[in-house]
Amino acid sequence: MSYLEALRGALGEANVLEEPVELHLFSKDASLLRGQANVVVFPQDADQVSEVVKIAEAHKVPIVARGAGTGLTAGASPTEGGIVVVTTAIDSIEIDLENRSAWVGAGVINLDLSAAAAPHGLHFAPDPSSQSACTIGGNVANNSGGPHCLAEGSTTSHVLGLEVVLAGGEIVRLGGNAPDPIGLDLKGLIVGSEGTLGIVTKALVRLLPLDPDVRTMLLAFPTVESAATTVSQVISAGMVPAALELMDQRMVQAVENWLQAGLPVDAAAVLLAEVVGETEGVEAEAEIIADLGRANGATSVEVARDETHRATLWKGRKSAFGAIAQLAPDYYLHDAVVPRTRLVETMSAVYEIADRYDLTMLNVFHAGDGNLHPLVAFDASDPETNRKVHEAGDEIVAICLKNGGALSGEHGIGIEKRDMMRTTFTELDLDAQARLKEAVDPSGVFNPSKVLPAGSRCFDFGGVRRKELPEGVWV
Amino acid sequence: MGWVTTEHPTREELDACVQCGLCLPVCPTFRLTGRETASPRGRLHAMSAVGEGVVEVDEVFAGLLDFCLGCRACEPVCPGLVPYGRALEGARAEIAEQVPGRKRLRRWQTTTILGSRAALRLGSLGLRIGQKLGLLRLTPARYRRITSGLRKLGGRGQPTLGHAGGSGEAGTVGLLAGCVQDEWFRPVNRTAVTLLEMAGHRVEVPRSQTCCGALAAHDGKAGAAHVFAGQNEEAFERYDMVVATAAGCSAHLAGYEGLGSSAADITVAVARAIDDGRLPVSEVDRGEMVIQDPCHLRHAQRVVDEPRRILEAAGFRPVEIDPVALCCGAAGVYTMAQPEASETLGNQKADQVRSSGVTRVASANPGCEMQLRSHLGDDYEVAHPIEWYLAALEEDGRGDD
Ligand SMILES: Cc1cc2nc3c(=O)[nH]c(=O)nc-3n(C[C@H](O)[C@H](O)[C@H](O)COP(=O)(O)OP(=O)(O)OC[C@H]3O[C@@H](n4cnc5c(N)ncnc54)[C@H](O)[C@@H]3O)c2cc1C
Ligand code: SF4
Ligand code: SF4
Repeated sequence: MSYLEALRGALGEANVLEEPVELHLFSKDASLLRGQANVVVFPQDADQVSEVVKIAEAHKVPIVARGAGTGLTAGASPTEGGIVVVTTAIDSIEIDLENRSAWVGAGVINLDLSAAAAPHGLHFAPDPSSQSACTIGGNVANNSGGPHCLAEGSTTSHVLGLEVVLAGGEIVRLGGNAPDPIGLDLKGLIVGSEGTLGIVTKALVRLLPLDPDVRTMLLAFPTVESAATTVSQVISAGMVPAALELMDQRMVQAVENWLQAGLPVDAAAVLLAEVVGETEGVEAEAEIIADLGRANGATSVEVARDETHRATLWKGRKSAFGAIAQLAPDYYLHDAVVPRTRLVETMSAVYEIADRYDLTMLNVFHAGDGNLHPLVAFDASDPETNRKVHEAGDEIVAICLKNGGALSGEHGIGIEKRDMMRTTFTELDLDAQARLKEAVDPSGVFNPSKVLPAGSRCFDFGGVRRKELPEGVWV
Repeated sequence: MGWVTTEHPTREELDACVQCGLCLPVCPTFRLTGRETASPRGRLHAMSAVGEGVVEVDEVFAGLLDFCLGCRACEPVCPGLVPYGRALEGARAEIAEQVPGRKRLRRWQTTTILGSRAALRLGSLGLRIGQKLGLLRLTPARYRRITSGLRKLGGRGQPTLGHAGGSGEAGTVGLLAGCVQDEWFRPVNRTAVTLLEMAGHRVEVPRSQTCCGALAAHDGKAGAAHVFAGQNEEAFERYDMVVATAAGCSAHLAGYEGLGSSAADITVAVARAIDDGRLPVSEVDRGEMVIQDPCHLRHAQRVVDEPRRILEAAGFRPVEIDPVALCCGAAGVYTMAQPEASETLGNQKADQVRSSGVTRVASANPGCEMQLRSHLGDDYEVAHPIEWYLAALEEDGRGDD
């Protein structure tokens, strides 16, 4: 029996797609790199995922998990072919009010979870800008962050337990509601593993109370530096605002063109800041941020009037990537992170690189935690431009690493960053990771060729010394 | 083979999509299935693949687009400003041209009938008699949602076509009577005439007009749609404002090149008159009323506040039922073409109305109205916001006639 027949038998024909057009639509995520799926399946529960894993192992076909396909590093692109396992049908939400947690199907959309928790006064804190579309499974797999992770931490801080289908089709539950479950923290291994170790079918996530009060403000600056300096000073003043997001002028213009919300398109940079908590505290903090901004030359400080106004400001920020489409058909986004203290100099260097290559560069990023998203808007159908974009990209990554940064702030490694892993890790580090992958996924079917560059596994340790990571590096 | 007509989605239209996926969660068909193949991004991706020569315009491709409601909920959320509705019409024109058997399919419904008043009148007469004799129970299942959602066709008064009246202090209005609208929803047109004249407009319903062409365009009959558009542009070129009373029609008019910004939905024209003080505001509190947003009003034209302001001016307190305004599943001929999905969406919408506990509903589009009535049953009253408004004025003794 072919694996296609086996899949049809296990999931029913309606849950197996094989038409070339259909396969084409699942051949990539939100990044540029395209793979080629052999078949796409929609398992309805963990048992069906387990069947799929067994079939894949028996026939030695790769399995690539996919949630909403909003990933930016080709993690869900079936670059080695195989079975694309879409989790969207696994979408149950069971809220446990007593423990302020919820068992959530991998296919649940991030924002749907918060909407379901809202009537109980709770929410799921990680809020990637793609939260209206991306799934919990994708969040877990990429350990995604978002504007509000500055104060609350990224996905890993909010995952208490996982239901995972491992090699051999074994369904396991890791972690749980207990504060420190016994044994090794195996769920920690799965969070951020980008589908290379197993398929997450459910996650037990922490739900936090909704904030009693919130102030959201937009500050306009005459230079990017003055905005970035303000960010550093806010943090040095001992505050951890819920969010500190920076957009440069080009980005604001593209967003405004679509949103028509009266954003300050003349400013060189715009800072979106949000503080949450009890009313008095929130007011005091908002005041300090406004003062620091003005001291750094902010030309306007606008505080959101009401919830609708606040929603509009956030909509502008969260739709920024998509708005690039108005400038060029493709974009290449970097997701680099540098220590906050090096933000200003890194930014200047990044702009300089773009100018030198004559590329349209826009910036929008989580400034609070030094997570840059320099973005090049270009037309990928022109090979010369393509080359320039990739060369400039390598320089950008190099400068971030040189300034004490790391390869990925939150979007993961996937394929886009894979070959840059060598710049951060020694062979010994890579070998350790490759052995881990081998131990958990002996047949190598889970998302092969992602994250770890080819040849990561080295059998000879003689003479390999550990490369020191620069101080303050995030990995 | 790629594209073969001049209507095809252009590279520019398709390249505007960066595949960010932000449109997925607002798409009703993605919500029903969780599948990329039933999402706006997926459909655009498939169109791009045709443009690149990777995919053929065949039955499978057509199937992906047949399932699309054309509700355009994917447009307002798209930061890339992708003109999805236009691309969809282009792709459907290609399907009509290239997929065997598609050329003649449904043409009967969308062009011949809608373009011909005589055929429409005859059909309506049949339906009216059917309603009277209780025969509509016998309609084949596929069409039953339509017949059970119809208004009572008796006592509708005269058609508005050919009407001319009003002072014109506030400017002239050309009213698009609509094909189905003037037959099955005549009271909405008559109300529109009354209100616009009360508001100081000169209202004319020129006889030289024809069907707006929306259904033809949505169905891939680009040629017919262009002919309709040309005839209407001529019929309406001399008015300050061109108004349609069905959201589906006004959305399509707004896309005519020849009319520019003079096209408006009736809710916009009436709300404007209320804001300017040309139409009165009732002081009576009439309680709660559910507001349903037709896709072609809210998503295609971004008209959200106006119907609410009209209800408020009538003394009603609008009750929201759906923050993202997911399609009710009526969507033109969708009830007949994709009965299963339409049924599920219709039930969802009806459940949203029921859980509000309010039995009066305002909807500004005939298709939605029928879908709601059919799914809600006789205990609910569904009418156009301007009808609720005029009725309130008449109750207050401030109506015109
Ligand atoms: C406009 C836009 C804004 C974004 N903003 C942010 C942001 O602010 N912060 C951020 O961190 N990211 C951001 N992203 C990136 C992306 O949205 C996140 O990485 C998101 O978590 C991916 O979720 P998804 O469901 O789309 O996953 P997919 O793209 O489908 O998959 C992502 C990876 O997870 C794996 N995977 C998916 N589901 C499972 C599963 N059930 N089990 C195991 N592995 C699985 C896939 O194999 C793949 O490697 C943004 C993307 C876009 C397009
Ligand atoms: S929101 Fe717009 S740009 Fe993003 S995937 Fe959808 S259509 Fe494409
Ligand atoms: S028009 Fe409606 S059904 Fe079609 S893709 Fe857009 S949102 Fe989905």
